This record gives sequence, C-alpha cells and structure tokens, in this order.
Amino acid sequence: MIDQAALNLGAALPATLLAFGAAILFVLDISIPQERKARTAWLAAVGVVVSLVISLLQINQQETAFFGAFRADSFTSVANIAALITALVGVIGAKDYLERAKIQRGEYYPLLLMTAAGAMFMAAANDLVIVLIALELLSIPLYVMVGFRRPEPRSEEGAMKYFLLGAFSSGFMVYGIALVYGAAGSTNFTEIFERVRFGELLSPALMLIGIGLIFVSLGFKVAAVPFHLWTPDVYQGAPTPVTAYMSVAAKVGGFAALLRLLTVAIPTFVVGDLVIEPNQTLIVHAAWQDLVAVIAALTMLLGNFVAIVQKDLKRMLAYSSIAHAGYILMAVAAAGSFTVVANDFGDTTVTLTIAQEALQGALIYLLAYAFTNVGAFAVVMCVEREDGSGTEINNIAGLGQINPLLGGAMTVFMLSLVGIPLTGGFVGKWFVFLSSVNAGLTLLALIGVLTSVVSAFYYLRIIVKMWFETGDFAPFAPRMLLLAIGFCVGGTVIVGVLPPVVTNLVQYVTAAALR
Amino acid sequence: MNWLEWGFFGVLTILVIGGGLAVVLNRNLFHSALWLIVSLFGVAGLFVMLSAPFLAAVQVLVYIGAIVILIIFAIMLTRRMMGISEAPNSQWTLGLAAAALTFLVIAMTLVLASNGANPLIPREPLTQIGGESLRDLGVALVDLNQYVLPFLLASVLLEAAMVGAIVLARGEE
Repeated sequence: MIDQAALNLGAALPATLLAFGAAILFVLDISIPQERKARTAWLAAVGVVVSLVISLLQINQQETAFFGAFRADSFTSVANIAALITALVGVIGAKDYLERAKIQRGEYYPLLLMTAAGAMFMAAANDLVIVLIALELLSIPLYVMVGFRRPEPRSEEGAMKYFLLGAFSSGFMVYGIALVYGAAGSTNFTEIFERVRFGELLSPALMLIGIGLIFVSLGFKVAAVPFHLWTPDVYQGAPTPVTAYMSVAAKVGGFAALLRLLTVAIPTFVVGDLVIEPNQTLIVHAAWQDLVAVIAALTMLLGNFVAIVQKDLKRMLAYSSIAHAGYILMAVAAAGSFTVVANDFGDTTVTLTIAQEALQGALIYLLAYAFTNVGAFAVVMCVEREDGSGTEINNIAGLGQINPLLGGAMTVFMLSLVGIPLTGGFVGKWFVFLSSVNAGLTLLALIGVLTSVVSAFYYLRIIVKMWFETGDFAPFAPRMLLLAIGFCVGGTVIVGVLPPVVTNLVQYVTAAALR
Repeated sequence: MNWLEWGFFGVLTILVIGGGLAVVLNRNLFHSALWLIVSLFGVAGLFVMLSAPFLAAVQVLVYIGAIVILIIFAIMLTRRMMGISEAPNSQWTLGLAAAALTFLVIAMTLVLASNGANPLIPREPLTQIGGESLRDLGVALVDLNQYVLPFLLASVLLEAAMVGAIVLARGEE
C-alpha cells in the first residue's frame, strides 16, 4: 500500500506537471503542421502559466514529497516562480523570432519546458542524486537549444563548447558526490546535516574536497570565475531567445541547488573544535565560506571590468551576467555565517538567522534579475537582424528616437542592472549587500558596491547611445515580443517601487534544516 | 557440470575468446568496437554460470552499456577514423608480450590459489553475492521510498536527450 501522505504528489505539482507536460507536448507537436507551430508555443505557455499559478498558491507551504527526497517549501516556490517567469518570456518572446530566423521547430518549446523543470527540481532536491539528474535535465536540452541555429557556425561552436565543458563539469559533480557520500555515508541533505552536527563525519577533509568539487560544477553552470570561460562565446552564438532564457534559468537552478546544499546539508560544517566560553555569543564562519567569498569577489571584479571593453551587446550582457553571478555568490557566502550562543553552563544553541537573511536576499536578487536580464535580451532580439548579425553596441544607436517604447524599456533594464533606486536591481542589491554585512563580510560588500559603480559605466553607455546618437534601422517588434518586454518592464518597476511584493514572497523562506 | 552446462560453457568461451580475437585482428576500428560487445557479453554469461548474476548485470550495464558505447562515440566523433580499414600497429610484438605476461600472472595466481598457496584468496567460495542484491537493485529503482524520483527524472532526461539528438542531427526539411 502506498503511503500517500509521504508521497505527497500535490506538493511537488509545479515541477512534475511541467516535466510530464513537456513529455506530452513532444507527442502533440508531431500532429501540428509546420506552418502552425505557434500552437505549440501557446500550449507551452499555458503549461508554464498553470505551473506558475500553482507555485504562487503554494508560496507558504513547508512540506516534503517523494518520501523526503523532494522539498516543497517556500524556497522551492520562489525559485519556481523565478524559473517560470523566465520560461514564459522564453516561450512567448521566441515565437516570432524563430519564425523570422527560419528555425521554427516545434521541439524548441518542450525542450525549454524540460530545462525549466530541471531548474525547479534542482531547487527542490533534498538529495545529491536528484541534484545531479536535475542538473542534467537542465543542461542537456540547453546544449541542443544553443545549437538551434545550425548550421550557422557560431551557433554550432557555442553548442559544442557548452556541451564539452558542461559534460566535463558534470563529471566534477559526480566525483564530488562520491566523496561526500564517502565522508558522510549518505547523499540525503538531512542525513548529511545530522552527521555534521554530531561530528560523525568519517573525514572532514574528504567532505571539504567533495563540496569543493560540487561547487566547481555548479559554479560552471552559474558562470562564476574561474569557470566562466564558455559564457561569452555561448551567449553570443546561441539564438537570442535561448541566451535570454539560459542567462537566467541556469542561474536559478545552479544557485538554488547550491544554496540548498550549503544551507540545508552543511550550514554548520566547521573543521576543528569550537571554543566557546559560558555566556558568550559568537558569529561562526562555516568552513566553505572563505572559498565562496573569494570566488564571489573574483567574479564581480572580472565580470564588470571585462564587460567595459566589449563591443557586442550579447557579449557585454554575457560578462554582465557573470558579474551578477558574483553578487548572488555574495549572498551564498553570507549564508555561511551562523550564531552560537552559550548559556551560563556553557550549553550552546545554534541559530541560522544570518543564513536565512542571505537566502531571502539571494532569492529577491534572482527574481529582480530574472525580469531585468530577460528583458534586456528581449530588446536585443528587436535590434538584431534576420541573420543574427547586428548585435554590436553601435547597432543600438538611435533606438530611443526610432522607437521610444523600446528605448524606454531598455533604459529601465540598464538602470536596474546598475542598481539605481526605484528599479528591481536596487532592491536585490540592497538585500544582498545587507546580508553580506550582517554576516561579517564587510570587505566583500565593499567590493560589491565599488564594482557596481564600475558597471554604471558600460550600462549607461548603452543609454547614451540610444538617446543621444542617431541611427537608421527598423526594429523587429512583433506584438508578442513587445508584450514580453512590457511584462519584464512591469516586473522590474514593481519590484523596485514596491519591494514588499517580493519581501512578502520570501518571508516564509527559512534556513530549513533547523526548522 | 552436466553436458548442458558444458555446452553453454563452450559457446560462451567461443564468444569470449573469438570476440576478443576479432577485436584485435579486425582492421576496421569501428568493427573492433562492435566485436568487443560480443566478447563482453560472453564474460557476462560466464558470471551467470558462476551464480553471480549481480556481477553479470553490472558487466552488461557498465561495460557494454557505458564503456563500449563511449568508445563508439569517440570513434564516431573523429569521423576520419571510421573510414580507416587498415589499422597499422607497428608495436604489436610489445602488445603481445604485455598480454602474455598479464595472462601468465593471472593464471598463476588462480592456480596457486586453488592449491591454497595464496593466502590472499580464500579457499572457500565467498558468500554468494547473488540474487538478493540484484533484486534489491531492481526494487530500489521502483520503490517509492528509495530512488523512484531519480528514476522518473532520468526517464524524462532520456527523452529530452533523444529528441535533442534528433533535432540536431536531422537534415533541413
């Protein structure tokens, strides 16, 4: 007899619905004639919206499904919302673009849904085995989508690079999982947490190396320095809707799994013994925090400085997305601080308030970033020519005069990427910097603020080009694409003007292990 | 062993040794890889005869399902290799010597072991790692309490990979 309460399929509905809906859509797509592939897009969009609504309804749920292997809590729901917003724009923005580029193949939409489901399963995974398979579910369709413009050489080159390096990075994850299993005797996050808490690890060094290897693999997915080398070529070679989608979806999946692993399985993983006096309060830093903090600093510095010299819009946005991965990594590093309080008798209690703030900050950042970055790439789709050329920064000159609506939208996105108040980007950065300072990582926060100032240079240059220079081209502006851009502008502005919208969304997110 | 087992043993031996010879002697690299499957299948059959079905299943899954497929992929990726029908190997004497030496070492170890001269190898047969663990493996994949979610996800993943491969490989319509 199946224990329905422990299986709890309803709690896992958004992700499972999307995955199996995509599998069915593959079959339905066969019967849709080539000239009516827009129908597949509509069906996919309906699936995404249904899943989005269910995720919103489940926002304060704190449950597990599949006998503890799947965590359906508010962290999952918020990550789902970020992934689904991206998927929605990825589907409706791509419809006319693919038509124009003559690469309208029905498989695009179910493949996209599968990657979204992969990102959602990564966010919900409570077991390293599921993290691995969900990571592959996110990655493999993306390799294909990057190569969708074949036989165009740049698209093929991007797909090949992404595939080979991606397969290599998955190998790191498998090896890391094996070492963590060797050290802790389990792949389940909750069980690993128990082993760490009671000091039952076989070998802390093995654990640290294993976590490091897993971090390499997830760092590759989110484009953290020094695992970022594929990013500019792949972002430039891929069809622009794919770039728009993957620049956010892969980050949502990668960061969600990383945050889940670090805050659920090993938030209190310290090498060596903790010395604490009675009546003392200590902020302790987990063993992995320094590593993440250094990577975050490098990622912010390299991403922002290299973006300055880029001449191609897609490449510039690629380096900008590396920089933003750095800001989110800052919150990941902040999640490594926890408070230990000792009472009169020297008995200690551990609280994870700082980690909880960092989790919420990272999620707010991801939500704001999802709207902004997808929107910016959607405007690039409008500027781009039919054959995929015309994405140089000079090509956007005069957009503000030719089409003030598009110019205005791009201005909002650029301001949000800098982090100007009243945009979503500001709210995201505010919470991330705040959590970083609270965690005692002041230097890291300082680097973040300074690199944001640097980033203003290349983002504002785009605004100047659009409004103060003249150009002559007819932007590609079908109704659905404009609708998608409007949706992104709306999201960016609403998050910026009314931060309670997102802070209410994430208020139920807790550092789950000690719940 | 009765005559039926002898018969099976004979067939499997031919598969293993014949397949192995075909791998080495074939002039087409791609055909060699295919013959390797035959040889490894024979080894899996030998495991079954030794009442070690778990090892047989792992042999098929890992060696044939993963390693040989990987080799075939590697050959197909380097397309020029596929057309080569002459596989020049100037160092075959060296290979022969190495193979003979390895064979001798293994054979000696086994012969000495059966005489009790090698303390590392127990004379009594190990507790059978047979039916039970194989059943556990199968049950774990469909047991709701164990790996059913990864199993389901893997099936979705395989579908995505298959469709993706078709999308990339099919010609212009």
